[in-house]
Amino acid sequence: MSVTQNRPSQREVQSPPPKRRGVTVRGKSLPYLFLAPSVVVLATMMGYPLVRMVLLAFQNMNNYRKFVNPSLVSYVGFQTFSSILSDPLFWQVIRRTLIWTALNVGLSMLIAMAIAALLGRISPWARVTLITVLLFVWSMPTIVTGTVFRWLFDNAYGVIDYILYLVGFKGMLHHDWFADPNQGLYVVVTSVVVWGALPFLVLALHAGMTQVPTELKEAARVDGASPLQVYRNVTLPILRPLLLITTALSFIWDFQVFNQIWTMRNGAPEQGYWTIGVYLFEQAFDRNRYSDGAVISVAMIVIMMLVLVFYIRQMLRIGDQK
Amino acid sequence: MSTYRRAPRRAMTTAFWNTVAMVVSIVLGFPIYWMLLTTVKSNKDLIAQHPTFWPSHWDFSSFSSAMDDNFGANLWNTVVITLGSVAISLVVGLLAALAVARFDFRGRKPFIVAILVVQMVPLVTILVGLLPVLNSANLIGSLLGLILAYLVFTIPFIIWTLRTYIVGIPAELDEAAMVDGCTKAQAFRRVVLPLLAPGLVSTGVFAWIQAWNEFVMARQIMGPAQNKTAMVWLTFFSSTPSHGSDYSGQMAGALIIAAPVIILFTIFQSRLSTGLTAGAVKG
Repeated sequence: MSVTQNRPSQREVQSPPPKRRGVTVRGKSLPYLFLAPSVVVLATMMGYPLVRMVLLAFQNMNNYRKFVNPSLVSYVGFQTFSSILSDPLFWQVIRRTLIWTALNVGLSMLIAMAIAALLGRISPWARVTLITVLLFVWSMPTIVTGTVFRWLFDNAYGVIDYILYLVGFKGMLHHDWFADPNQGLYVVVTSVVVWGALPFLVLALHAGMTQVPTELKEAARVDGASPLQVYRNVTLPILRPLLLITTALSFIWDFQVFNQIWTMRNGAPEQGYWTIGVYLFEQAFDRNRYSDGAVISVAMIVIMMLVLVFYIRQMLRIGDQK
Repeated sequence: MSTYRRAPRRAMTTAFWNTVAMVVSIVLGFPIYWMLLTTVKSNKDLIAQHPTFWPSHWDFSSFSSAMDDNFGANLWNTVVITLGSVAISLVVGLLAALAVARFDFRGRKPFIVAILVVQMVPLVTILVGLLPVLNSANLIGSLLGLILAYLVFTIPFIIWTLRTYIVGIPAELDEAAMVDGCTKAQAFRRVVLPLLAPGLVSTGVFAWIQAWNEFVMARQIMGPAQNKTAMVWLTFFSSTPSHGSDYSGQMAGALIIAAPVIILFTIFQSRLSTGLTAGAVKG
């Protein structure tokens, strides 16, 4: 207490003009000195590779020989772009990725909001149980999750088929979930991704819901609003910014899903399972077509930026704040 | 009167929602339960026509079948790589976080925006350009190559998270220390650092978890068998002819490499959101 009160006067006494100038000069270069290491590391490990990636899109590094011997690589203008963009497979992958991502983001947000609302109206012991389960789910590495779910959905000894059989779907015993890529991707992989996404979304939304002032809800109730109306007209508007952020994050994660698809298809996803991340990996790294991969990378980043314009604008605003 | 009638009804609804919550918990927790259960089931149980929800007898042989020739070496690689990249990025990231949180300088805003935007760029797109770079630097197949590659996501994460922690430590505290005769460096070491320690630990733990779980970079940068990381090991283990249908071995391997993450995550998750300096500047 006394320290804070005495501070202004002591500072005036203790800092004579010459010394203060010294401090400001050092204060000007010090932050740059502190930033230098991370700027250098990120520029060499991320900035330069990104530039290199964009250059690759205009080159023809499309076999392993050219990868190990870069002197064989030459610039080909927009040739790689036109060959990828005229490939029906590319547009098929883009379409599939966008539809699948929308499905996953929508499902995870809806289920997460339901569970978050549920958390608000159950007894403390039930809340602790559910949150504990969510934390364990959250902690699972995606590679492990994919491996576990492949076993759950196994067609010979998988437990999902057996449970369906037990509850009356006799024909589902030994059902092969992965034979049809549409079923495999839109049902099985979706269930893995939504399962993994729920914990973060539920806990974030639940935290947001507890911030909604109870007086507002009480007032609405007194005025005769039904629980659903209270939710729609009081809770949701207050949650809106949080919903935007969680939706944007879900999009970022689901759009580039790779690990779950990779492990569920045991390291060799069939073409019907290719979303843009898998497609990019197969082209660039499995077939050593780095320039093709670079064009797909550019497309991937452009699509993300287009979808997330509003989110990026939000970030620019964060930069404005102190 | 109305309160008398409402109380039991409210208890009923709570009981109903509690039941729903338990069903949700069981459904969400079931995959983890099944993973644990599979590791202690005997092979005979595993290929039974009707799977059982409890082992007929306990069999831990799955763990020894998971530990094949490469398992130990691969796990050790992961330990070295993750600790290496987290150590480097904590030092580098702490400096940048201090600059952003405690200094006002030209270029501060663009830097913050860059750190935020950079975290959105998919790793796999960076890897397309990074692999040729690492190749010309002769870093493919080396632990150092992967340690450096991981800095791409650990450093932005650490800068952003630590910045929040440092902003939470009132600047009046270090000013007070400097008024009392500390130099800037001393004020940092004696005041800021102790308050920041919990934040440093949990930030480090979460960066470490991300590095531990990373797959795409590890698969492409690290080469042959003994050189893999644990996650890459699991995908190869699961697709070899000898272990492709050895699900108890796969689950045991999955459990071992996930265990450190699960334990640390559940311990530190609750800490991430608690206020650090609550009460530090009380009157």
